[in-house]
Amino acid sequence: MSKIPENLLYTEEHEWISIEGDVATIGITDFAQSSLGDIVFVELPEIETAFDTGDSFGVVESIKSVSDLYTPLAGSVLEKNEEVEESPEKLNENAFGSWLVKLKMKDPSQVENLMDAKKYENFCANNS
Amino acid sequence: MKKTALYPSHIDLGAKLAEFGGYKMPIQYSNLKQEVLAVRNSVGMFDVGHMGEFFIKGAEAIKFVDFLLTNDFSAAAVNKAVYSPLCREDGSVIDDLIAYKLAEDFVMLCVNAANIEKDWNWIVSKKEGFQVELTNKSEDYSLIAVQGPKSLAALKEAESALEDIPYYSLQIKENGQTPIIFARTGYTGEDGFEIFGPAAYVMGLWSKLLKSDVTPCGLGARDVLRLEVCFPLYGQEIDDQTTPLESGLKWTVKFSKPDFIGKAALEKSSPRFLNLKLVLDKGIPRKGYDVVDQDGNSVGKVTSGSLSVILEKGVAMARVEKAKYNSSLELFVNIRGKNYRAKRHKGPFVNGGHK
Repeated sequence: MSKIPENLLYTEEHEWISIEGDVATIGITDFAQSSLGDIVFVELPEIETAFDTGDSFGVVESIKSVSDLYTPLAGSVLEKNEEVEESPEKLNENAFGSWLVKLKMKDPSQVENLMDAKKYENFCANNS
Repeated sequence: MKKTALYPSHIDLGAKLAEFGGYKMPIQYSNLKQEVLAVRNSVGMFDVGHMGEFFIKGAEAIKFVDFLLTNDFSAAAVNKAVYSPLCREDGSVIDDLIAYKLAEDFVMLCVNAANIEKDWNWIVSKKEGFQVELTNKSEDYSLIAVQGPKSLAALKEAESALEDIPYYSLQIKENGQTPIIFARTGYTGEDGFEIFGPAAYVMGLWSKLLKSDVTPCGLGARDVLRLEVCFPLYGQEIDDQTTPLESGLKWTVKFSKPDFIGKAALEKSSPRFLNLKLVLDKGIPRKGYDVVDQDGNSVGKVTSGSLSVILEKGVAMARVEKAKYNSSLELFVNIRGKNYRAKRHKGPFVNGGHK
C-alpha cells in the first residue's frame, strides 16, 4: 500500500481531505480502495447540493458491495470529479490523486475534527 | 464461530474472512474479478466445508429420499446426483440440496450450512415408517469445489484415481467410515468437481492443488458465478415463505412421480410470484432494491444482484408479484431513488461450460 501523504487530513471513514481557504477537496484513501477491491461505479452529488456533517454525499461500488461516502464537513458542492465517475478504476490506481468532490465549507472550524497523517496511520494500524 | 479444516490455509493465503452459515469463511483471497475469471477460463477452488452432509442408509433409503424431495430421485441411476428443493406439506421450501445416490441403499444429501439443523430435524421427523438409518456427518466432512474448464486436468494431476465421469454423477474413491466422494457437481455453471472427504484427505488435496496453481476463490466470487448462470440461493431466490413454483424451479417439481411431501399443495397452488432475470445497461442492482414498471408501480424486489464480471453489466434475479406485474410494460430497478432501465433476459446471463 502506498504511503499516507503528510499534507492531507483524514477521517475514520478512510477519506482524505485537502483544505484551501474555505474549500475542502475530498477523496478516499488507499486503505479504502484496497478494502473495496475493484471499484466499478461511483455516484457523486450534483453541484450546489448542500450537506451536513455526516451526510452521505455519494457511493462507491465494487462488484459485490455498495459503500456510502460520508462528508466530515458541512458545505455545498462546488465541483465533482466527472472523470472518476466515468472511469471508477482511477480510484484503485491512484486513490490519493483522484479527488471526488470539492465542498465550500459552511464552518471551516470543523477542520479541527480531522486527523493528521500520523494520527490516521495509527488509526489504520489499530483497526485492520 | 465455527471454522473449517482449511481455516489455517485461508489465514496463510491472506483471505478476507466473514461469517457465513455460522462459519468463518473466506470471502475473497486476492481479487474477486480474477477469481471469477479463473473459474470461467481456467480453474479455481473453493472451501465449502461449511455445507452439511447427511447419510441415509437402508432398504428404503431411496424411497424415503424420493418422498422428501420434489424432484425425481428414484429414476436416477446409482452414482448419479439430483438437485432438488426440500419442501413442507404446504409447498414452502425448507432448503435446496443435492442428493447423491451412492448405492441402491445409500444416499448422501448435501445441504446449505445455515439450514443444517432445520433440515436435519425435518428429515428425522419424517422417517417413521421407513426402513432407514440417518447420520448427520456434517462435522466429519470437509468439502472443496474445484471448478472451471481445467478442473479435470488439475485434479487428475493431484489424484490419479479420478475418472472422467459425466456431469452430475459421482465416483467413490474410498469406502470407509467417511467415504471419499468425487462428484461432478458445483455452483458455478462450469465443469467441475466437488470433493467430499475427511479433513486430512481434503487438506492434502487442497495443498496439492495450490502447488499446481489452482486459484483459491472465495464465497464472493462464488456468489457472482452462480448469479451469472442464474442458480438460486436459499434465503434470496428461495425461502421458507415461497414455493419452488414461485422461484423459477418448476423443472424440479415432478408431479408425475408418486406421492411426495408438498405434492398436494403444489398441485393446487397458484403461484403468487415470478422469478425474472434482469440486465441493466447502467447501474448495479442489489438485493432488496425495488423493481418498478414504466407506470411507476412497484412490482417486486431484486433477490440477487451484482455486476456481472463477464457481461460487465448489472444483472439481477428478481421476485415480482404476478398480481402487479404486466409483462408488456417496461421495467426499471430503483437504485437510490433513481430508476434504471432493466431488460428481461431469457436463460442464464452467462453460458457456463458444464457438459
